[in-house]
Amino acid sequence: MVIVKRKTLSFSERLYLPEIVRGLSITFRKMFAKRVTRQYPEERLETTEVTRGQPRLVVNEDDSIACVSCGLCEAACPAYAITIDGQETDRFIEREPERFDIDMLRCILCGFCEEACPKDAIYMSDELELADYSRAALIYDIEKLKRPKSALEQRIGYVNKINQRWQTPSSTS
Amino acid sequence: MNEILVWVIKTGFIFGGLVGTAAAMSLAERKFSAWMQYRIGPNRVGPWGLLQPIADGVKFMFKEELIPDGANKWVFQLAPLLAAMPAMMTIAVIPFAGRVELFGQDFGNLSITDLDIGALYVLAIGGLAIYGVILGGWASNSKYSLLGGLRASAQMISYELSLILTILAVIAMTGDLDLRAIVEAQNTGGVWNVLEWNIWYQPLGFMLFVVATFAETNRHPFDFAECEPELVGGFHTEYSAMRFALFFIGEYCAMTVMACLTVTLFLGGPSVPFWAAAPWFVGFAAFLVKAGFFLFLFIWVRWTLPRFRFDQLMHLGWKVFLPLSLLNLLATGVAILFRGGA
Repeated sequence: MVIVKRKTLSFSERLYLPEIVRGLSITFRKMFAKRVTRQYPEERLETTEVTRGQPRLVVNEDDSIACVSCGLCEAACPAYAITIDGQETDRFIEREPERFDIDMLRCILCGFCEEACPKDAIYMSDELELADYSRAALIYDIEKLKRPKSALEQRIGYVNKINQRWQTPSSTS
Repeated sequence: MNEILVWVIKTGFIFGGLVGTAAAMSLAERKFSAWMQYRIGPNRVGPWGLLQPIADGVKFMFKEELIPDGANKWVFQLAPLLAAMPAMMTIAVIPFAGRVELFGQDFGNLSITDLDIGALYVLAIGGLAIYGVILGGWASNSKYSLLGGLRASAQMISYELSLILTILAVIAMTGDLDLRAIVEAQNTGGVWNVLEWNIWYQPLGFMLFVVATFAETNRHPFDFAECEPELVGGFHTEYSAMRFALFFIGEYCAMTVMACLTVTLFLGGPSVPFWAAAPWFVGFAAFLVKAGFFLFLFIWVRWTLPRFRFDQLMHLGWKVFLPLSLLNLLATGVAILFRGGA
């Protein structure tokens, strides 16, 4: 048991007024202190390479999509947010997604899809804003998910750097 | 010039100024509170958020107004008006400045009217403000609103006593109930007219009066009418839309009137330091500066001090303020007796 002794106030403290004046002087000084508010839509937080925003599909330099619709990300997704239907293509990779939907309302931004992808085709972007008027509009299809490689550069570099850790000298050769 | 026209112009000017001040105060309150908390405050509506009061007003007009099922509809609708009206009525006797001469016209003294019993009128009408709060709380048919109204009325009654007793000391010094005469007695001419201000003769009375005005207008740290943790809001819990806004307009108007009254009674009203014969507009500007300081003080204190506990408030009101104001009155009386009459 702890007995907390009530502090006996001095006479000036019991008079209230000197303490009130002290409080007032503090609030007055703070009026000129530096503001901490960030004016959101104009002033955004800076994202760094570790920012794990919404997943986006990588588009190569020749405008083709890197995804081969293997379905690994669909399987890895813990929230069942990804739906993929594949189709044949004349390109060297032979398969590409006909349909690649991510239900952004289900997506938990865990980044498992990014880790699962064998073709470096899906990355977590630095895009964080998610608002719309209907649920249907928040199921992003392939057109909404496409991003040029250059837009994801920062994150791709970071993931490659992290992946170095798993590579033994023999596997790199 | 037609006397009635002059009256209408003066009434419109002062009344418009009061309501405008109330609107500006709603913005100033938010701006200053923001600055004291390292924030920026409203800045989206117009430059510096200056149009915020208009936006708020439009919003309040278009909102749906709810009247609870069990409410006493007649009283429920009347209460906000009762809360806002007394403050708007008491502004009538505040002497803002001396004789106004503009465009070669004589407009008379800058106040809606100079009543012989101005101080009495202010106290009588100002005391009515409590009806708006308690009736609003009662008519809502909600226990929280009722408790909020009861607390507010108990508080206002206890502090009104010390408020009246301190005003009484000033009246005793001047020997006149007319606010204009009280102002003129504080500015009889000469360079050192600052020393004639009642604040130097009634320092204790001034202090008691200022604190009592905080309680009288239900402002922090005495805002017992409202309290989110205990009362889910307060006496206005059930109110919405424009009637809700009316309570706030009333509160800000009451603050403005109380600030004006403090200036009139203790700071010489429109008296300009070291310039006894200042023209009316300089006096009016001086009045606004002084009243502006007290309005700022209302906001300043609100964002500095936490709310009192209810028993502490009652203790302060009845056991500290009442004896002190009585003592103040007694000391004033003795001083007048020995100096040979007022």
